[in-house]
Amino acid sequence: MRELTFTDAAREGLAEEMARDAMIFVVGEGIGARGGNFNTTVGLYDLYGEMRLRDTPISERGFTGLCTGAAVLGARPVVDFMFLDFELDALGEIINQMSRLHWMSNGQVKVPIVLRGGVGLASTGPQHSANLFSIFMHLPGLHVVVPVFPADAKGLLKTSIRTDDPVIFLEHKKLMRLKGPVPDGEHLVPFGQASVVRQGKDLTIVGISFTVIEALNAASLLEIEGISAEVIDPRTLAPLDMATILESVSKTHRLLVVDEDFSPCGAGAEIAAQVMEQGFYELDAPVRRMNGTFVPGPYSPPLEAAVIPSAQGIAKAAQALMVE
Amino acid sequence: MMAFEITLPRLGWDMEEGSLADWLKKDGEFVNAGELLFTVEGDKAIQEIEALDSGYLKTLPYGPQKGEKVPVGTLLGYLVPEEELAEFHIPGQSLEPVTVQATQVQAVAQPAGNHLEEPSPAPVDGRKRRVYISPYAKRLAQGLGVDWQGIRGSGKGGRIMALDVEQAAMMKQKAAVPVPVPTPSPSVSAINAIQPIAPQVAQYAVERHTITPLRKKIAEHMAYSAHTSAPVTLTTEVDATELVALRKTLKEDSAITGQPVPSYNDLLTKLSCQALLEHPLINARIEGEEVVQMGAVNIAVAVDTERGLIVPVLKDVQTKALRQLARESAVLIERTRNGSITYEELQGATFTITNLGMFEIDAFSPIIDLPQCSILGVGRIAPKPVVVDIETEKVAIRQCMILSLTFDHRLIDGAQAARFLQRVKHFIERPYLWMAG
Repeated sequence: MRELTFTDAAREGLAEEMARDAMIFVVGEGIGARGGNFNTTVGLYDLYGEMRLRDTPISERGFTGLCTGAAVLGARPVVDFMFLDFELDALGEIINQMSRLHWMSNGQVKVPIVLRGGVGLASTGPQHSANLFSIFMHLPGLHVVVPVFPADAKGLLKTSIRTDDPVIFLEHKKLMRLKGPVPDGEHLVPFGQASVVRQGKDLTIVGISFTVIEALNAASLLEIEGISAEVIDPRTLAPLDMATILESVSKTHRLLVVDEDFSPCGAGAEIAAQVMEQGFYELDAPVRRMNGTFVPGPYSPPLEAAVIPSAQGIAKAAQALMVE
Repeated sequence: MMAFEITLPRLGWDMEEGSLADWLKKDGEFVNAGELLFTVEGDKAIQEIEALDSGYLKTLPYGPQKGEKVPVGTLLGYLVPEEELAEFHIPGQSLEPVTVQATQVQAVAQPAGNHLEEPSPAPVDGRKRRVYISPYAKRLAQGLGVDWQGIRGSGKGGRIMALDVEQAAMMKQKAAVPVPVPTPSPSVSAINAIQPIAPQVAQYAVERHTITPLRKKIAEHMAYSAHTSAPVTLTTEVDATELVALRKTLKEDSAITGQPVPSYNDLLTKLSCQALLEHPLINARIEGEEVVQMGAVNIAVAVDTERGLIVPVLKDVQTKALRQLARESAVLIERTRNGSITYEELQGATFTITNLGMFEIDAFSPIIDLPQCSILGVGRIAPKPVVVDIETEKVAIRQCMILSLTFDHRLIDGAQAARFLQRVKHFIERPYLWMAG
């Protein structure tokens, strides 16, 4: 199978969808002729021009509000925020309008819109490193998509664009250049289907976004120690595929959730609570979480390394959990 | 209101396990707070423990055996107040298995189920008394028909995990295999067949005992000292004639009656103390990156007991007269031999004297008791012909003794140790000198 980077695979998905449906357009800062800060739209401006690749001023709330209206009227906007952190300026529109109009109109209004942005710590400092998964998981009416592998980046972005509800599509900056196999032709990945990316029998590690990669590295370290770890990539946090996680826990009886985002009220807290509610009698040890340190992302690389879950750290936590 | 728990106490700061030596009250007897309730064998001492509360003593039928080594905090029994007595049952004992599977288990496990009957240990922190079991392990136990109340958990704090349940189930299966019933039929078992030669085997049989807490402590500490220090042993022969004469004088002092006569060890303790005051580096120790000069001279005297080597400490020897030392050491040695010595009385030595003279040993190389930096080995006192004047070629019979000083070369150099030993020798040969101070 051919190999593409995460960003190239996602862009291929976007291009395929734009070719298929003329109502799809992209707005954002620098996504026109420049091709996007993270190369999310490279080449598309030449194909579709500024009617469908519209550079915006630095006015997140304004263009998000405009796109919400456009979506209500039948367009399918993709809002490219570059960094997720900038999306915070548009939260009023996102929460009070975009996520609620469908409910407030008794289902008469659909808001098909994709909000994409780079997340995670990648030597990007406190204001460009947010993950904020749980903020969006906490809002009814939003889908939260966290692809890890290039094929999923493509397949999930295409699904996001075709979904009639608002979708938060979050791309970890450390994943953008990750290469991986991507199927030829039409490739759609449904929401709410986690992927077991490594089979194991002794414990289950759920990674989220980039930590899936670190969890896989940890699983290799653990294998040397004779511990067989199963690694799960949920792929979407809302909807969350608890069935796959519970099935795995029923096999391994131990669960570690690794998330670069903070632990209080985080995705790991939600997963742990649901496992306790639905899988209590499968647990042979308490569910453990491993999270990024509860501080804004530091700029200094050594400090950053100290606050994010590493493969060694995950392996250690897993070892501790085995003798818990 | 609840029954009061009786747990194994911590007798010294580094005590992690010990054993119930004996109950001083009978099961069911009423005990007042403050009364002596039981004795505990710690690292080196047996100590009597007072009841902290009042109530009727209920010992655990499946609790730790006397002498069985258990972690500090292990539950030993309960003191049950009068008003609770009727209602009281020992937790876990009245929980009869109720499921069909569990009942079957009991029937199956009965013939040889002793593995499963072992009491589960209390978690080491000594607070949580419940038997902890993971939800999955509990469900598994029910499915396998295993009575998990009796399983020893291998998880943190003794928590039972699925693995423990599986092992218990396997053991139960083994136990359930019918044990051949002894019958006269020769065809029944190989076990019977080898019985006739058993007595012969017994002659050469290896006996195995669990290592006692004291032996274990000695083993660990001796190995630690031997592996850590850089020991060098110096020996010198001493003319102890004057010392023997002094002891005789002390013995014959009719003014003093009803008091222990100072022993050679007491005399050597006093003389060594004087030499230590003059050579303070010998009365020092290494602590991490520091050399600590000890203020007081606390001399440990090795005592041989039925339970093993115990080394009580004579504190502040520099402040004590010889008769006072003799009185104190007599009490200490008696308490050491009968096991009533306390943990505190074994702590804080700055120097040790070990005497093997009574076993006709001349010289030996004792092991330093870290963190001390030296130890004086004392040999027997025996009469020998000695050249007392070369010019006249005069030989006399003198009482001679060999001293063996092992010192830690990490802290002390050979010449320093030699000067100290020379001073001890000088004091022994002229014992009245120490009176000068």
